[in-house]
Amino acid sequence: MAGQIKHMIDAIIRQRSNGNQVLANTTRTKLIIKGFHPDKYTAASEDDPARIAELKEIAKDMGVTL
Amino acid sequence: MNAVTLSSNKPSVNDAVNDLKQQCGDFEPKMLLFFASSRYEPEALAGAMKDAFGDLPVFGCTTAGEIGNGSMLKESIVAMALGDRIVEDLKVGIVRDLSDPDAIRSVFSDFESYYGKPVAELDFTEYVGVILIDGLSGAEERTMDRIGDLTNVLFVGGSAGDDLGFRATYVFADGEAYTNAAVLALLKPATEFDIIKTQSFAAMDTKLIPTKVNEEAREVLEFNGKPAATAYAEALGVSPEDLPAHFMQHPVGLLAGDDIFVRSPQQVAGESVIFYCSVKEGIDLSLLQSTDIVADTRAAVEEKLQNLGGISALINFNCILRTLDLEAGGLSAAYGSLFSDFPAIGFSTYGEEYIGHINQTATMLVFR
Repeated sequence: MAGQIKHMIDAIIRQRSNGNQVLANTTRTKLIIKGFHPDKYTAASEDDPARIAELKEIAKDMGVTL
Repeated sequence: MNAVTLSSNKPSVNDAVNDLKQQCGDFEPKMLLFFASSRYEPEALAGAMKDAFGDLPVFGCTTAGEIGNGSMLKESIVAMALGDRIVEDLKVGIVRDLSDPDAIRSVFSDFESYYGKPVAELDFTEYVGVILIDGLSGAEERTMDRIGDLTNVLFVGGSAGDDLGFRATYVFADGEAYTNAAVLALLKPATEFDIIKTQSFAAMDTKLIPTKVNEEAREVLEFNGKPAATAYAEALGVSPEDLPAHFMQHPVGLLAGDDIFVRSPQQVAGESVIFYCSVKEGIDLSLLQSTDIVADTRAAVEEKLQNLGGISALINFNCILRTLDLEAGGLSAAYGSLFSDFPAIGFSTYGEEYIGHINQTATMLVFR
C-alpha cells in the first residue's frame, strides 16, 4: 500500500482551510513546521506506520477527522 | 488620535512610569502594550504600570533593547497606547506555567467565553493575537504549535529578553510579572491589520538534512548522516573551528514555498550544533546567505504601507541577532529610522513568533 500519508495531509489541509487559499497555505506551513512537508509526499509514497501514527496524532490535535 | 507611543529612559521605575503616564496625557486608550529593559525591577514595574494606568488592559515584557521614536534604544521603556479606532475589543490571557499542557486550552476557554464563540471558529480576518513569552523557557515551539492547532487566528509576537544577561525574562499582565509564562492577547481590531514577517536571507542550493536530533535540547547531532558540525562546515567550505564565525551570516532555513523560516545556530558543542529553536529530524533545511537587513525591511514595510494605504500603528518584534548585526555594521540608526514616519514601538527579542518559533526575523503587527 502507498499514498496514505499524502491522503491524510490533503485531508488535514482541506478540513482546516475549508476552501480558503490563505488558510490552506497557513496549514501547509504548520505541517511543514511539524515535520510533514506536503510536497515530499505523493500517491506513491510508502505507508510508513510510524509516520502515519504521528500524522494521526497531529490531525487529532488539530481537530481534524480522518 | 488612534495610537500614542511613549518612551522613557529615566532610571527609576516610578519616574519612568510617571513619565509614560504624562506623555499619554488625556488620551484614553483601549489597551497599553509596553516593552521594558531588564534594568527595571520586574515586580515593581508591573505594579507601577497597573497603578498608573488603572483598569486598562496593560501587558508587556522585558527586552534585549527597545525600538521607539524611530530609534533603537537601550535601558528604556517603550509603550504604545491604542485607541478604539484601532482596537474594537481585546481579551488578555496568561499562561502561568508553560510546562502545563492544558494551560493554553484554558486561556482559550476564557477567550471563548469572552467573545462568545469557539476560537476554532474565529475568523482570522477579523481577529489577531499577540504573544509575549518567556525567552529562556525553551517552550516557544510547543506553545506556538498548540496555538496553531487550536485556531486559525494568527498570533504574532516575540520572546522576552533580558539585555543579553540570560538570567531571567519576564512577561507582564494584570500588574504582575511572570516567568515561565506567556501573555496571549486576542484582539478584534477596529481597522484593517496585517502581519509583516521579514528575514534578510536568500536560500542557497545546499541542503542540510538533520538525520539525528535531540529536539527538546534544540540540538542537531547529525546532518546528512555526518557529525553535524563537520557537515555544516563542509557545506560552507570552512573548517569546523571557524564554523561559529559564519553562523550569523549563514543560518539554515525551512522553506515553505518562497517563505523562509530561519533556524539560527547558537554554538558548536562537541560534534553537535545547538540552535536557538528546535529542528525536526528528516526535514530539508536550506543553507542561507545573508542579505541587507535595512533594505529588506524597508521594502517589507513600504509594501505593507502601499497595500494598506497607510499605517496608524506598528509593533515590531525584532530578533536580537538582527540588532547585533545592525550594531556591528553601524546600521542601528538607519534601521530605527524605518519606523519614524508612523507610531511604532518594538523590542529586540530572544526569538520571534509567527505560525511557529523562528530566529533572525522581524515579525510585525501593523494596523491601517
